[in-house]
Amino acid sequence: MATEPKAVTEDVKIDLFEDDDEFEEFEINEEWDDKEEGKEVTQQWEDDWDDDDVSDDFSLQLKRELESNTNKN
Amino acid sequence: MSMGEAHRRITEYLNRFSDAISSQDGATFKSLFALSSNSPFLLSLGDALNLFQDPNRLIKQSDNYSQFADILVPLFRSLLNYRQNNLLEAYNAFEKTANAFIQEFRNWESAWALEALYVIVYDIRVLAEKADKELASNGKSPEKLKGAGSVLMKFFGTLAGKGSKRVGALYVTCQLFKIYFKLGTVHLCRSVIRSIETARIFDFEEFPKRDKVTYMYYTGRLEVFNENFPAADYKLSYALKHCNPQSEANIRMILKHLIPVKLSIGILPKNSLLEKYNLLEYSKIVQALRRGDLRLLRCALQDHEDRFLRSGVYLVLEKLELQVYQRLVKKIYIIQKQKDPGRAHQVKLEVIVKALKWLEIDMDVDEVECIVAILIYKNLMKGYFAHKSKVVVLSKQDPFPKLNGKPVNS
Repeated sequence: MATEPKAVTEDVKIDLFEDDDEFEEFEINEEWDDKEEGKEVTQQWEDDWDDDDVSDDFSLQLKRELESNTNKN
Repeated sequence: MSMGEAHRRITEYLNRFSDAISSQDGATFKSLFALSSNSPFLLSLGDALNLFQDPNRLIKQSDNYSQFADILVPLFRSLLNYRQNNLLEAYNAFEKTANAFIQEFRNWESAWALEALYVIVYDIRVLAEKADKELASNGKSPEKLKGAGSVLMKFFGTLAGKGSKRVGALYVTCQLFKIYFKLGTVHLCRSVIRSIETARIFDFEEFPKRDKVTYMYYTGRLEVFNENFPAADYKLSYALKHCNPQSEANIRMILKHLIPVKLSIGILPKNSLLEKYNLLEYSKIVQALRRGDLRLLRCALQDHEDRFLRSGVYLVLEKLELQVYQRLVKKIYIIQKQKDPGRAHQVKLEVIVKALKWLEIDMDVDEVECIVAILIYKNLMKGYFAHKSKVVVLSKQDPFPKLNGKPVNS
């Protein structure tokens, strides 16, 4: 049992110092197809997320909290 | 290896060298400088140089070689030391080779040797890093990477002309960026950027794609440091869009800096993106923004503090607090609106205090008033205070303006 936590901390250590964000070199003559670039990855954003929906768990809990506090006052 | 075999290998190298120059064979020429590639040909040459006592004699015995002695003599010394793992000596000699090479390169009219220049520029940086590690491990001051930066500035100056060689300038720039970022001297990037972006001799689109992507990654990161989010968004998005789709490590690195920028202008990454590129340290931050959960944001920042600090995005993420406050107040407003539409636009500060208390964040009414004042000032909320009754009166039209891809007013 004593060895298990050790393995976990080693993993964390490796993860923590994963890199210093240095961009990897492309090969000198490396070429790639314009058409396949970034198409998929550029569609992975949401700019219309800030809606009026308050039916999620967090909002419902907040609502309960505010109502219970109002009742107490 | 026999002495005869060593002699044969050294002579073969010298012949390849002079033949490559006379036939302007760039592909062969570049392979003769690639120390850090650990190619079998160069490794065996290193062994031959170790055995053969006086390789300089071979260089000087033929005019074909002797005219390039300033390049070859230190290059042999560098190869020998690199093979013996004397990295400091290998770097010092290679720097001499680089300086001699640039003198020759200036005299060649066409850009046939550009790929060899790329190899030298790359290797001088890599060797300098290795030499600095060796110096540091011996308790000495690491100074070679800084020296490599000075050499590369000479290379940049040579390429910043009008001819066909100028397409190489961006590659050198990117290697300089790597040096300056590593040394923490990013202010030195400015002069090179000015040359690239304002000099009439350069047309950005004519540079190779790999260099444009790398350049946009580093200049995008600089814009993040300067908190110029629209420019950072443009540059990092360019790098992302044009990056080789096979280069997942680089895509991940671009996203690591682009995500905080996007969050700052009110755009969220989908969870599938975070999962695919193993950037799950951002998932709780995204969740906190969606919910208006200040506690979750603070926990996420604390959990990944080291990582965010090292990437230089911690302060950017910390400033998302205002958007989270906005979202929380908006939720309170919507909840009130459902209950009592007529009075929804009047939000008691006490109600915000209670919501924060529920999130285990202790603030009094005055502190909350301060936060709300900032939200109004930054145009994250439209309204005014009824100070006596401790109420914020919200505008009936669009009380919580969206960022729409623009940064929070500073």
